[in-house]
Amino acid sequence: MTITDLTSMGEPQADVRAEINERLKRLQHHASDYCYQCAKCTSGCEAHKLLELEPHKIVALLKRGHITELTNNDVIWTCMTCLKCRERCPQQVAPVEILFAAKNLAVQNGKELPGKYTAMLQSILGTGLLQEIQTVTTTKNTTTTRDQLCLPPLSLPTDITKFQASIMAIAMQKP
Amino acid sequence: MRKIGVFICHCGINIAQNVDVEALTKYAATLPNVTVAENYKYMCSDNGARLIKDNIKKHALDIVVIAACSPRMHETFFRDLLTEGGANPYRLEIINIREQCSWVHQDKTTATDKAKALLRSGIAKAQYHEPLTPSHVAVIPEALVIGAGIAGIQASLDLANDGFKVHLVDQEPTIGGHMAQLDKTFPTLDCAACILTPKMAEVANHKNIELLTYSHLQSVEGSIGNYTIKITKKPRYIDTIKCTGCGDCATACRLKDRIPSEFNEHMGNRSATYMPFPQAVPLKYTIDPHKCLYLTKGKCGDEPLCKKACAQDAIQFDQQPETIERKVGTIIVATGYDLLDPTALYELGYHHQQDVITTLELERLISSSGPTKGEILRPSNKQPPKSVTFILCVGSRDETQCTWCCRIGCMTALKQIYLLREKLPDIEINLCYQDVRSYGKGYEEFYRKIRAVNTNLFRGRPSEIRPKGDALTMDVFDTTTNKLYEIKTDLAILVPAMVPRHNATELARLLRLTLSGDGFFLEAHPKLRPMDTFVAGVFIAGCCQGPKDIQDTVAQASGAASRAATILSKKELEIDPMIAWVDEDACTGCGICVDICPYDARTINEKNRIAEVNAALCTGCGGCVAACPSNASIHKNYTKKQLLNMVDNIM
Amino acid sequence: MNPHRYALFPGCLMPTEQYALELSVRATLPALGIELVDLPGLSCCGEPMKSVNQTLTLYLSARSLAIAEKNHLSFFAPCPQCHLALHETNIILQKNPAMMDRINDMLKAEDLHYTGTTKIVHTVDLLHDIIGLETIKKHVKHPLTGLKLVVHYGCQTIRPKELGRPDDSENPQKVEEILKTLGADPITDYPQKLDCCGAPLLPNKPETALTKTGQKLQAIQDLGAAGVVDLCPWCHKMLDSRQSKAGETVAAKLDLPVLYLTQLLGVAIGIDPTKLGLDLNLSPVHKLNLTGDKP
Repeated sequence: MTITDLTSMGEPQADVRAEINERLKRLQHHASDYCYQCAKCTSGCEAHKLLELEPHKIVALLKRGHITELTNNDVIWTCMTCLKCRERCPQQVAPVEILFAAKNLAVQNGKELPGKYTAMLQSILGTGLLQEIQTVTTTKNTTTTRDQLCLPPLSLPTDITKFQASIMAIAMQKP
Repeated sequence: MRKIGVFICHCGINIAQNVDVEALTKYAATLPNVTVAENYKYMCSDNGARLIKDNIKKHALDIVVIAACSPRMHETFFRDLLTEGGANPYRLEIINIREQCSWVHQDKTTATDKAKALLRSGIAKAQYHEPLTPSHVAVIPEALVIGAGIAGIQASLDLANDGFKVHLVDQEPTIGGHMAQLDKTFPTLDCAACILTPKMAEVANHKNIELLTYSHLQSVEGSIGNYTIKITKKPRYIDTIKCTGCGDCATACRLKDRIPSEFNEHMGNRSATYMPFPQAVPLKYTIDPHKCLYLTKGKCGDEPLCKKACAQDAIQFDQQPETIERKVGTIIVATGYDLLDPTALYELGYHHQQDVITTLELERLISSSGPTKGEILRPSNKQPPKSVTFILCVGSRDETQCTWCCRIGCMTALKQIYLLREKLPDIEINLCYQDVRSYGKGYEEFYRKIRAVNTNLFRGRPSEIRPKGDALTMDVFDTTTNKLYEIKTDLAILVPAMVPRHNATELARLLRLTLSGDGFFLEAHPKLRPMDTFVAGVFIAGCCQGPKDIQDTVAQASGAASRAATILSKKELEIDPMIAWVDEDACTGCGICVDICPYDARTINEKNRIAEVNAALCTGCGGCVAACPSNASIHKNYTKKQLLNMVDNIM
Repeated sequence: MNPHRYALFPGCLMPTEQYALELSVRATLPALGIELVDLPGLSCCGEPMKSVNQTLTLYLSARSLAIAEKNHLSFFAPCPQCHLALHETNIILQKNPAMMDRINDMLKAEDLHYTGTTKIVHTVDLLHDIIGLETIKKHVKHPLTGLKLVVHYGCQTIRPKELGRPDDSENPQKVEEILKTLGADPITDYPQKLDCCGAPLLPNKPETALTKTGQKLQAIQDLGAAGVVDLCPWCHKMLDSRQSKAGETVAAKLDLPVLYLTQLLGVAIGIDPTKLGLDLNLSPVHKLNLTGDKP
């Protein structure tokens, strides 16, 4: 007994779907199975009008098991994480969380991080924070920075080596 | 010398597959006092019945043990066989070797051993079965019907036409319920008032029906066949004998048109003295004690204008509530439903946008006797809308609100679309749906009609409704075309979930009724006993049991009436004698059983300080037996001696 | 434990770029009785990394939570995204003991351990519920008389309701109430009130992010609002620091003053304006004439 998607000639990846649902459950989210495609999420999706993200379709693809199609698609990176879909879903499915899981899986499978994500990750690895101290402009057309404003020094991981070791270990683990 | 007959059922292969019934029969024959042991494929069949009856007669058996399915299946049937065979029906012991043995074990050897142990212990218990005689309780041939919507009206008429006296109570000043608020009914588009008011008039004029409107239930005592009910009649502050229903008081009232009308779902106003709608039954006015100036503040200008205007001198500000008592044999609960307040889905704007209304509110606008005389006008500017958008499932099928389907939402919206089309042929009508549930007779055909009257169907739920200029806007993703639509509309109609009445829990407490998880009253069995409850003698009908449309409500109401009539048509009822019994010598009158009993079936006789059992209320739960410190509370044919015997024989 | 003593959780954006938020927080809250403690050893909350590896997010939040727990302090997180990350991490770890064990296993490498007891509050919690409107009112010296401001709550301050957020998800009013206490006359509702500023798309879709910002600001401007009050350094980065860029992206002339709630609070309760970072706001804050200076 098989189900074949005639567009891609692919069969559903039931085991990967089960794994994603397991992961979602571990993070206290409801199973995607309950979605009944009312599309309330897409109706209110902040990213839909500008970037064509369809959260209900993402859930439908997960339900059917088309995982690779999901993770290979660039549209999953357009989610604005506004959380309106999670807030208003009548079946307590959270498309935003499914998208996070899909993105995680894409990265795990070797997808290159889009945009500035790599730089942000490297900064966290190097210093513990997303970015370095920035110099900013003022309305008086001067520039200033944290020290000049007499703010206390940054709070950073005390032993950066141990911190880095922990972070690297996570990258090696299965999520 | 007891003579026990043992009958073992194969139940086809249900039992025989996992239990060696032949071996079991041979084993049974070796047990104490067993005169005959037989087995057969289907004990509950004609042949099986004959087998048991013939053996009882042949061997003059006094005790019968049947090893078969759960006693919940055929206990009554088997008891009748004993009676027909000449034995006492309460000297029957049914041992469950199906649900409790063959259905839950796979290994035949161990299953058979277990069946033997069960049989052995069951026979040990049966040794001490005594012949019992049921007691009787006289049935009062009168019924109480709570709620006078279409369900209560139908049930009352059925019982009244059967010849029983009916006391019909409703908390509103008029009967008719929600159906009276409807303009037309689906799918035939019958005028709701036209089909309802004749029944309302029949109820008012029926010699067997006592109509108690503007009243509520105070207390219920007693049991099936013999209930004592206290009902409190709220004061209308108008003498109903003098009142002719002319309406001069309402016209004269200082608060005329200043109080939101409940019947019109707050789409229009009324006076402090009011009649909900022109065909109200009874056709009498009522003064609202929470709004009337005289009743709340003690004075109304120089003098109450209603009193001045009433030609019959019917205004009676000193009227008091009156509590009356009635005795009835059965009770039918038909209290109806409420609609979910869509404020719960705040993002749809019901709370703060005037032009976002519910289907019931729209129904009052459509009705020619409504606040706009049947003209469809936007609440915000009193202009006809150019575009109307319906949204289904507001709060229904929602894990965060009501998990259930309201059953009537789809058809109500379709009906209203049809009626709007008739009144405003050229406007834009949109329907945002997820599914269209048009399941009943004629419903699918009606849905087809709606598809043909230029209705824009969008399969998707909008996420929010916001104001845009002086209109409303919503985005809805249509999964059929895979496009996002922005709908700018003048009037948004929300189809809200159907919920239990806000005072359902109170009523349940008064009647000792159970509620199901969704808060509606729980039926005894969803398929086979949908009108019965777990309280003997109390039946439920209509939406108070769960959402349904008018035809299912009427069917259920007639069904409940029939169930009630089964009891009322008897002069007396047999009470199952396998209940608690007091050993008067052992009883110390401590009263623990009275506190323990969940059915209020225990009392202490004041004179001799001995506990007593009300046989009609006792359900044989055994709580008092466990609690009694003096071993004075005994369960007939379920005694401690019998139970200990069972345990000994299993070990 | 002093109920008004909190460890500050700075996050990333506030301490490295959105200095006005940190300045105004440090200047105003102690005046209202809140003691802020700086704990060493903290790091990013991990929320921006959720798309990359959610376990990393849990770890990063958990390590800071562990540090606070060790110091017997609750966290005050001015950034709503940090607040959500820390709060959600708490819930996940509390509800899933296996996950808690796994994280603690990893925390060992940094000599840390977490048992799940750290509490986290946000600015709205502090001002509205803990300090209270009555107390704030007593401190008002320069009421923001009649200023018709609107509030941009952002996303994480109000969603998702099921996790417990500082304010209601569909009709948040706490900041409006605070503004009223400060003497302002905020517009309490507008169609785009609950919309996102677009910031989360900055890493990979910056033009879209700016479009979102531009659209919301345009709508607010069309309302006739005097200015915008925000709570989150990411939102402020978009609405204030990138306002002119956002205007270019949506082809609109945007000219709206945008301020942090704590900046307005500071002005109202008489804090020295130079300590509130007002010159770091790139939007035309001078239009509100808050300091009485000529523009």
